[in-house]
Amino acid sequence: MSNQPLTIRSWPRAILHLDADAFFASCEQAIHPELKGKPVITGKERGIVAAASYEAKARGVQRGMSLYEVKKVCPDVVIVPSDYETYSLFSVRMFGILRRFSPDVEEYSIDEAFVDLTGLRRSFHGPYGMIAGNMQETVERELDITVSVGVSLSKVLAKIGSKHNKPHGLTLIPGRDIHLYLEKLPIEKVWGIGPNTAAFLGKFGITTALQFARKDEGFISKHLSKPYREIWDELNGRSVYPVTVESKSSYQSISKTKTFTPPSGDKTFVFAQLSKNLENACIKARRYKLAATKLILFVRTQEFRDSGVELKLSRPSAYPSDLFGPLQKGFDHIYQSNCSYRQTGVVLGDLLSDNNVQYTLFDDTARIEKMSRVYSTLDMLSEKFGKYAVHHATSLPTKLQTQHEGERGDVPQRTKDLFKGENKRQRLGLPVLHIKV
Amino acid sequence: MSSKNAVYKLVNKLEDLKVLEKDKKGRLIPRSIAAPVKMLGTVEAGFPSPAEEELVDTLSLDNLLIQNPEATFLLKVSGDSMSEAGILPGDMVLVDKGETPKSGDIVIAEVDGEWTMKYLKKRGESVVLIPANPKYQPIRPKKELKIAGVVTAVLRKYR
Repeated sequence: MSNQPLTIRSWPRAILHLDADAFFASCEQAIHPELKGKPVITGKERGIVAAASYEAKARGVQRGMSLYEVKKVCPDVVIVPSDYETYSLFSVRMFGILRRFSPDVEEYSIDEAFVDLTGLRRSFHGPYGMIAGNMQETVERELDITVSVGVSLSKVLAKIGSKHNKPHGLTLIPGRDIHLYLEKLPIEKVWGIGPNTAAFLGKFGITTALQFARKDEGFISKHLSKPYREIWDELNGRSVYPVTVESKSSYQSISKTKTFTPPSGDKTFVFAQLSKNLENACIKARRYKLAATKLILFVRTQEFRDSGVELKLSRPSAYPSDLFGPLQKGFDHIYQSNCSYRQTGVVLGDLLSDNNVQYTLFDDTARIEKMSRVYSTLDMLSEKFGKYAVHHATSLPTKLQTQHEGERGDVPQRTKDLFKGENKRQRLGLPVLHIKV
Repeated sequence: MSSKNAVYKLVNKLEDLKVLEKDKKGRLIPRSIAAPVKMLGTVEAGFPSPAEEELVDTLSLDNLLIQNPEATFLLKVSGDSMSEAGILPGDMVLVDKGETPKSGDIVIAEVDGEWTMKYLKKRGESVVLIPANPKYQPIRPKKELKIAGVVTAVLRKYR
């Protein structure tokens, strides 16, 4: 029984999951080749590890560790500030390369993608393993980073494949082999199964993914809800989750947070940070033509205590001048004068498409119309002269202090070493190799 | 309309309204539905704007300089070993990691642990890296040669 395959069909579907290995750190090693083979971490400006290279992980460095701890366990570590501009360029290129092979590419996150390969054996004159190998080889050669790849019959199984052998792994799980990969896999390692569900399944003696997959339909429908039934189907090689092709064009919520050092107890300064978070979030909302109906703001003290407040807005909006009122009210509610703050954040929630916005009888439509003209002009100015070419005066105090003083104030080399014609805000959209020749 | 009769009645109505006309054989000739429009003088139509037709097949500077957008990187030059090839300190070069390096290409390479930009010359099995400045000597890799990319263009902005 236990050696029986879950399905005898080898490739009813072929779904690939690609996961870049230690992505941020790999990007740094790609543009600074002298860092290859060395323990590298990013996140200098945050004071904690954002990403660690495999060399650093091998020395015991983990995500989220403080830099002080890192230097203790790994004294020769190279710590660099995060360069999100470069990471984003690499990410876009990675998806671009995958699209050369299949039009069905889902950008799952900055460093992960799903690709539907079903039916492509014909055009590539070869098996799925060969296509996946070519994809991996092309990404690795052109971007100089390594990626791990899994190919199987469903998204859940493909993800198990890509995790099976990291870094630089390529794992194929055809239908008749699924059970071999699930046999030793703890159930909580399956995508979508959280610690609570794992504990619940444990009550029935289910501890591995294979035990779960082998349960009969009666058991599943009696004890579990739809999402887990879907995972059960996916584990059995019946693809339920489609590969969704659109690049991210909409959001449920938009959040913008920023940490600053040294922490500050100055009310105007802390509010200015929130104001800038809000302006940032609104810029993004307007770019995606969305309007928020909920505003959440939070602050974090030096002692890592968070306080926040959630406000319902009377009218959907993506204009800071509409939202400063609620923001100020919420801030007054949570601000304590005897505290020092290190981080602020704003979340725009319950977003609607901005052409679905209905005005009520009491809205001043003339004013709203005027505001929409003001902000679309502002967005045009930003496009021409760079972000924050014009911003609200409440955000101005953020300029009193650089984001981070001292060692953490280090900025990526890309923003310091400019070419003629580039400026602080706008640079050429190509990653720069830092090689001295 | 499910019957010929229904169509016939409708056509007659439209004929009464002068929307349709019948010729001798009973074929229908459409007339105008709308009221006549007053003419507001005439407009001279010159040559059509050249913009669309003629400019379809032009290249942008990006397309000209970058063959392989996913694999092209920028690099700021600091040395003068390629000065006679027109690459000076401070220039930007575009480096393509997707191209296969050929003899005669300018490449960015790591030779025995040192990074350099030189002409790549292959003679049979042997590989030499040749500078474009008499101050420097050709380099013959002793242990290791790693080519990071092919230089496809050099950019210099004067103002």
